[in-house]
This record gives sequence, C-alpha cells and structure tokens, in this order.
Amino acid sequence: MALHSAIVLTILTLTVGCSEPRSDTTLRFGLANTPANLDPRFATDATSARVNRLLYSRLIDFDEAARPVPSLATWEQISPVHYRFFLQPTRQPFHHGAELTASDVKATYDFVLDASNHSPHRSALTLISDIHVPTDNIVDFYLNKPDRLFPSYLVIGILPANLIRTNHPFHEHPIGNGAFTFIDRPDDTHWRLMRQVDRQYVELLRIPDPTVRVLKLLAGEIDMIQNDLPPELTAYLDTDDKISIQRRQGANFSYLGFNLQDPVVGQHRIREAIAHAIDRTSIIHHLLHDTAHPANAMFPPKHWVGDATLSGYDYNPTRARALLRQAGFDEAHPVRLTYKTSTDPIRLRVATIVQDQLAHVGIDVSIQSHDWGTFYGDIKAGRFQMYSLSWVGLKTPDIFRYVFHSSSIPPRGANRGRFIDTQSDRLIEQAQATQDLHRKSEIYRRLQAHLLHVLPYVPLWFEEHVFLARRNITGYVLSADGNYDGLLTVTRRPTSTQLTRQESHQP
Amino acid sequence: MIRLWVPLFILGVWSVMAIIGPALPITPNHIDLTQILTTPSATAWLGYDDIGRSIGDRLIVGARTSFLVAFSVVFIASIVGSCLGIIGAYWGGWVDHLLIRIIDIFLAFPGILLAIALAGAMGPGIENVVLALACVGWVGYARLARSQVLAIKEADHVTAARALGASSGRIMFRHLLPLLSAPLIIELSFGVASIVIAEAGLSFLGLGVQPPDASWGSMIRDGTRYMLVAPHVVIAPGVALMLVVFAINVLGDWMRDWLDVKSLTRER
Amino acid sequence: MTKFVLARLASALLIIFGVSCLVFMLMHLIPGDPIDVMLGETAHPTDKDALRKAMGLHLPLHIQLLHYLQRLLHLDLGTSIHSGRAVTTILLERFPATLELGAGAITIAMLVAFPLGIFAALRQHTVIDAGAMAFALTGVSIPNFWLGPLLIMGGALWLGWFPVSGRNGLLSLVLPALTLGTAMAAILSRMIRSAVLEVIHEDFIRTAQAKGLGATQTVFRHALRNALLPVLTLLGLQFGALLSGAVITETIFSWPGIGSLMIEAIQQRDYPIVQGTILWISLMYIGINLVTDVLYALADPRIRLRHPS
Repeated sequence: MALHSAIVLTILTLTVGCSEPRSDTTLRFGLANTPANLDPRFATDATSARVNRLLYSRLIDFDEAARPVPSLATWEQISPVHYRFFLQPTRQPFHHGAELTASDVKATYDFVLDASNHSPHRSALTLISDIHVPTDNIVDFYLNKPDRLFPSYLVIGILPANLIRTNHPFHEHPIGNGAFTFIDRPDDTHWRLMRQVDRQYVELLRIPDPTVRVLKLLAGEIDMIQNDLPPELTAYLDTDDKISIQRRQGANFSYLGFNLQDPVVGQHRIREAIAHAIDRTSIIHHLLHDTAHPANAMFPPKHWVGDATLSGYDYNPTRARALLRQAGFDEAHPVRLTYKTSTDPIRLRVATIVQDQLAHVGIDVSIQSHDWGTFYGDIKAGRFQMYSLSWVGLKTPDIFRYVFHSSSIPPRGANRGRFIDTQSDRLIEQAQATQDLHRKSEIYRRLQAHLLHVLPYVPLWFEEHVFLARRNITGYVLSADGNYDGLLTVTRRPTSTQLTRQESHQP
Repeated sequence: MIRLWVPLFILGVWSVMAIIGPALPITPNHIDLTQILTTPSATAWLGYDDIGRSIGDRLIVGARTSFLVAFSVVFIASIVGSCLGIIGAYWGGWVDHLLIRIIDIFLAFPGILLAIALAGAMGPGIENVVLALACVGWVGYARLARSQVLAIKEADHVTAARALGASSGRIMFRHLLPLLSAPLIIELSFGVASIVIAEAGLSFLGLGVQPPDASWGSMIRDGTRYMLVAPHVVIAPGVALMLVVFAINVLGDWMRDWLDVKSLTRER
Repeated sequence: MTKFVLARLASALLIIFGVSCLVFMLMHLIPGDPIDVMLGETAHPTDKDALRKAMGLHLPLHIQLLHYLQRLLHLDLGTSIHSGRAVTTILLERFPATLELGAGAITIAMLVAFPLGIFAALRQHTVIDAGAMAFALTGVSIPNFWLGPLLIMGGALWLGWFPVSGRNGLLSLVLPALTLGTAMAAILSRMIRSAVLEVIHEDFIRTAQAKGLGATQTVFRHALRNALLPVLTLLGLQFGALLSGAVITETIFSWPGIGSLMIEAIQQRDYPIVQGTILWISLMYIGINLVTDVLYALADPRIRLRHPS
C-alpha cells in the first residue's frame, strides 16, 4: 500500500510541476460547446463558425437586416451570372506573414468546390461555375444560373493558397488573416488566441455545465459568458452587482414541427388547435424570464424579408377545443400525439408545459426524449409526429426552399415534415426567380403569411442573446446573431480587487 | 431492536407511498407557471419545482418509480449474478473461464453506450431502464459470489456434504448460498442507492422516466441545476433517498448479524 | 509467475477483441449518421453518398468491422469525424487528465477509508463507529451530479480555497477527486471495517494480543494485511465504476479526460473516437485488473496454484 501511495503522490507532484501560473492579463471567455473544427472549409457547428470569424476573414458580412455588406471585399454585379469582387486595398496579412491576394480567395473556394474534398459547404456553392483572378485584388465569380442572393453565400474564411496546396492541418493549427491569431490548444477544453492589434490574449474555455460556468464567472476565474444559460441563472446574475449584463433580441427560431403525412397532425384543424392551445405569453414570461420574443415566422421582423405585421395565433383554449370537435375529437376521444424532443433541460421543460397545456384542450401528448444523436436522426428520417427544435443562424431566405419546398423532402433537403403545398412551392419558386430584391422580399412576406396560415410549423419564439461579464470588462458589443465579434473590442479595466484576487491565486 | 424497527418503518413508508401513491388525492402533474421554483410555504411544504409543480406531491409519486426500478433491478441482477457466479466457481474449468471473460467484457464495456442503444432500439421507458441497469448490474454480484465460493468451496461442511453424495445443486444452494448472503447483502444494500441514482443518469440519455412522470433520481438531477437559485428543490428528494439508503443498510447490517448467528449455531 | 501473467495477457487480448466487436456493432446499430455530422444538413445527397463511399461506410457491417480490426492491428485508430484530428493524438492528450483524476480519487478514498474503517472496527458499537458508518451511507447516497456543484459552492465560492473547475495544478484536482472518490471511500471504509472485524476475532490476533502486543500494533501488523485482499478486489472492481462516474465528474469540472470525450463522441456519433476511447478504457481496466491479480497472487500463493496455467 505504501508503494501505491508513493506512486500516486509522484503523479500528483508531477502535475503540480507542470501547472503554470495564470497570467494576469488574459481575458477568459466561457463556452458551452466545443468549437469542433477550426478549419472553416469543414466546420458546420455554430461555435466553430463564431470562433473562425475571429481567426479568418471572409468576403462579405451581414448587417442588422441580414443583408450582405462588404467585409474583405466590395462587389459589383457585372451580369446576372458574373459577380466581381474587389478586395479592400488595406488588408491584414496572413498570420504566417504572407499577403492575402485574390488567388487565396480562389484557392479557398476551389478547394471547397472540389467534390473529392467532401466539404460540407460545397452544395451551397455549386452554382459557381468558374472563378477567375484577373489581378491580385480582383476575383470574378461566374455562375451557372442567376441568383441575386449570391454574395450572401460567400461566408467561408479565406485560407492562404500555399498552405492549402501543402495540405496544412488548419484544424490543428489555424492560419488566416483574422484579427486573432491562434496560439495553442493546451488540451481539448481550452483554446488560446491573441488579438493582433494589442497582443491581448483571449482564452476560450469549454465549461459544459451551466451552473459551473456561472460559478466560475462569480469566482472570477472567467471574465465573461454568452448564451446557453437556463433563464433562472440569467435572472439570478442580473441581480448580482459583480456582474454586468447585456441582452439583445435574437433570431434563433424555436418551433414545433409536424409530420404532415400523419393522419392526425396532418389535419390543418388540429395544428391550428395546437397553436391556439399553447400559452406562449405565459411560458415566455414565467419560464423564460422574458428572454424570448414571440415568433410568427422563421425570420424576425428586423430581417429584410421579415414581416412585423403578421399576427400570430392567440391563446384561446375554447377555440382550440372547438377546432378539435370539428375534427371529430372530444373528451371521450382525445387526440393522441407523440412529442419528440432532445434531453436538453430547457426543451424538456417546455415540452412538459406544452404537454400540460395541450391536455387542457383534450390532446393527450406523450413525450419521448432522446439523446441528441438519436433525436436528430429520427427527425431527419421523418420518424415523428410532433417535435420541437430551433433554427440557428438563419441568414438568407433561400432556406424556405430547403425547408418547405416539396422537392426538399429528405435526403434532398430539410422538409422533414413532408410538407407538400402547391401554393408554397409556387411562391418559393417565384421568389427565387425574381432578380429584384424588393419584389423578392415582397413574395417572401406573402410566403410567410401563407405558412403561418397553413402551419407546417407552429412558430414559438426567438431566443434572446445574453452576454454576462465581470463588472471590470468593458467594450464588448453583443452582436445580432450571437457571434463572438465583441472579443475584437473587449478590454479589462484594471481594478484593485482584480489584482488582489490574482495575487491570491498565484501558487 | 431500534436497528430493526427504524429501518423497517422508513422502508414501510416508502413502500406504502409506492403502493397507494396513485390513489392519493394529489396533483403531481399540475403545472402552475406562476409558482416556478417557489420556496416552501404553508400550502406547499416542500415548495415547487422548475415548472411550477408541487415537490411534495411529486415526491410521493416518484417513490413508486424509484421503488419499482430499484427492487426489480436488484432482484434480477442479484439472482442472475450470484447464480452465474456460484455455478462458475463451483464447476470451474471452461465454464468458469467463460464466465470470467464475459464478466470482464461487461466491466470494460461502457454502460452508457448500451443504454443509448437500448433507448434507440426500444424507446424510452421504465422497463428498458430496468433492463439496462440489470444488464450492467449482474456483473458485480457474479464476481462477488464467485470469489466467495472459491474461498469456501473447500470448507468442511461442503466437503462433507459432497462426500455424503449431495447433488451439485443441493450443495450450491443449501450449503454455499447461505454463506454468501452476508457479503451479497452488503453489495445489495449499496446497490439500491446506486440504482436510484443511475436511473436519473439514464434519463439524461433519454432512457429514464419521461415527463410528466416523476422519479426521485430525476428529481434530484433536475434539482441540482437550480442549486444556486432554489436549493430547496434538490433537498426533499435527496433526503428521501438518503433515508431509504440508510434504512436498507442498517437493515442489511442487522440481517447479516442475524444470519451470522444462525450459521454459527447451526455449525456448532 | 511468468506463465500466470502470460495467460492473463492472452485473455486480455480476447477481451479487447470482444469489446471492440461489441462496441463496433452497437455504435453502428444505434440511430444517427456521422455523415450528417460531417456534411451538415445542407449537403446534397450525392455529396453524402460520395463521402459515405470514401469512408467505407456504405459497405456491409461485417466488412466494415473487418476493416476496422485490420486497422487496429496496425494500431491505427483513425481520425475524428468531427474535428478531423487523429484519435491517438486526442487520446494521448486526454489520458493524463483521467489518470490524474482516477489516482486522486483513489488516493482520497484510501486516505479516508483506511483510518475510518479501522477505527470504526476497533471501536465497534460506539459513536465513532456510528459516525463513520453514517458518513459511508451519506457518501453512497449522494450522486456525483449533486456532490460536485455542492463542493464547488463550498470549496470554491465560499471558502475560495480551490478553483471552480478546469485542470490547472494540484489545487484544481482536489474538488473533482473528492467528488469522484467519496462514493468509493464510503464503500471502501465499510469493506475495511468488516474485514478488520472479521480478522480481529480470529485466533492469531488473540494470540498476538495475548503475547502482549498493543491493539493498534496488532491491527496494523496482522489485521490490515488480511483485510488488504478484499480491498484489492474491490479496487479492481470499482475501477469500471470509477470511470463511468468520471464521465459526470469530468463534465461538471470541465476536466479534459477520457470520460467526457467519450460521452460527447457518442452523442455526436463520432465512431472512431467512441471506439478509440472504449478500447483505451478496456485496456486500462484490463491493466489494472492484471496488476491487482498479480498482487493478489503474490499475497496469497494459493490463488496462483489454483489458476490453471
């Protein structure tokens, strides 16, 4: 036994030897999820996309209304199938020193378009037929069909062409020309970046448990966190005077989805009854602590195709019961439904409340919660009657074809509910064919009004973005889509309490 | 005698709650959104949970789930496990070898994956929780029974019984099993606690009780999320679980002593 | 002895083979598709099929299993579907953390359980005994996911002695090791108590006492030596439980270990990582058990003789 303890002690001592003192100036940012892939050609998850925005730059960006605006380049539509991008005259060099030129842009997009590379972003870009580089500052994109939304698709971070050629492992060691350089990944739970302009180190730490993330913030081990908190904790921190809070309306769209081929929820009256039976106002107020806003369409009113005039379904159990009776159901013959959800706590809470509210109008719901992989697999395969999910990071209205057009039934798209509706199909096709942006948004608004009437989804709400930081953190601006661009400007005001805390933590 | 009656009382309350719970005039699934995480008061002694349901009422109906799961799993796992363990150790040879290999594979294999597979294949539900936990749980009993039998199979009274021509089955269950009961009972008494907790872990994987049903394990798990804002949510189910575990263990101790005395008097 | 170890090693290979096959089959049978993880939802079906072909995921399952075992023979664990990094790299990065946490938990468990169990046994039916056993009962009935946050609130927020989470030196190990070690300490102290109690009444202890050796000395010299065997068995047995407990503990404390890696990988259907971690865990498990068995055999020669070689 003595031997055993001795070994253990040695191991422990070794780890103490390895630990390094915390530097005083690093800013620490707590994340709920791992940025899985720091190679923008392959990243698909939201966290990676947000971190990659810091490491790489892209041709375009989006404004408040999700319209494309110049970022690395401005553009000009030369013909319906020819877009010319002019790189900004002053631009950051790549982190390894080389200048970013038009051929880097071409190399990045060529790589993504090469089918043998299996990039997840290829299918969104297949309308590109050719990329030309007339000068170092100009990139020409030729399309195989006209699309006025084309610039919105060019959001992939630009990589240096020479490293693409040599198969540099960007996922291990990202090199872009973003405002931050990648320093290292000491282990799989934190990532160190450096802001180039002032050599400010920023550490991203993955802390999956929300309570622990909050405790870490309260203890001063991290400086800031954003989103992914239970509403109670947000409300709790709001009252703490060590913590400052920023909130901003978001565009992450939560909804109830239905299998429209199902004999029960395939009936319009039943979906309408469900929409009337759910008391969104109470749920948002009591459960979500007002950190959400009721939604009537996939895009919020601020979006360039958004519509503030849509009026949703009010909470009206009497009307819901009447609709169910019309459909031939009553207390003796209740509607029976299965509601699938992931095991995420807040989704389960919402599901349980919805179950209760639907029970009040005579809909008997049984909930099935599955781990994320199983749940998502079931949803995509159409194995569901009713489910709830969110759309995160929607920007361009071409999503409507992908989600609601009859030609997008999986595996060809995400029309998981097998929604087949000639009017919607026609509106989607019209909107996509129109080259006039104003007219386009008009048609998309009509489409959204129509969808709200037909209810392939029952829209629930848009979640708010919340940013919480220690009081001495300033300069973070919460963005409209919840990205981490605030890290570009964030700084720490040195205070006396801050210094004592840091000293006490020195080993 | 306190050692017998106090635990029996606690376990009695538990089983009564489990049996008559559904018949009581309580509303464990009634949701009042305005009461979310409300602290205990005169009308609701234990307060309200994270979607505004009475914790007291849920504690009563949750007792049933936890009771059923704990006892069916312990029952299945201990019977299957100790039978296999006794058989393996008694017969030895390839039977024993096979058993050890199977045990090792099970021990090295993550139960989580099995749970997800079961949930995916058969859907969430209490029966599948029992199945998954029993699948993982029998191994401990088998190993324990096996090592105990190895240690005592050469004991005098076993050799004597064999010499007298008793059948293998008779020797195993008349002469070996009684000697095994003491360590098995300890394992069993700890087993109940870990199973109530494990059930909560499984609902995270989508295998446990589904809303709106309650179980103590899932109440504890949900409650820990609000430790900062509403610590009362986790306390009631936590204390209930501890009392039960305490009772089972004290009772287990008592039974072991009692069995000890019995076996001693029989041998002499 | 060499023969004994060789026999155990041979059976270890068999177990690894069995576990690998089982994990492979289960992983591919549960719903969920890694292609969706890699290509996201927006991918064209043709792109998905192409990738499926490129990865060999279109082949019948038994062929895929054969390929997997073939690569395993060359010690090639593949690359993560999600991050594109080599599984071996990730495992080597994560393993020290798990080892440290496990060692810490076992150390704490033993540091608590030995004194507690021995004193409880020596002072049977006293307050010390009752208190020690009350601790043991509380220890087993507090789930990890409750104890963890509780310890953080107490030790990090109120006392400020330890960091809340993360892996940064010895101090940061204390709370997660306590969380993971408590249940084990509880079981172990009960085990030690009853082992010491059993031994204490045996003849040789009485003889020693009659010879005039003090009670404490006697216990340390004789009783403990005998109590060690069941404790060793338990340690080997508990190791699996320790690792599954580590999944929750690692998640709570954002500890970069194997446990949290595995659960994430399972949820993302990252087949190569799941297979890699499980293989690694079974290797560790087998290794630990081999060591306990050898120790066991060294301590008790009868075991070796009984074992057919």
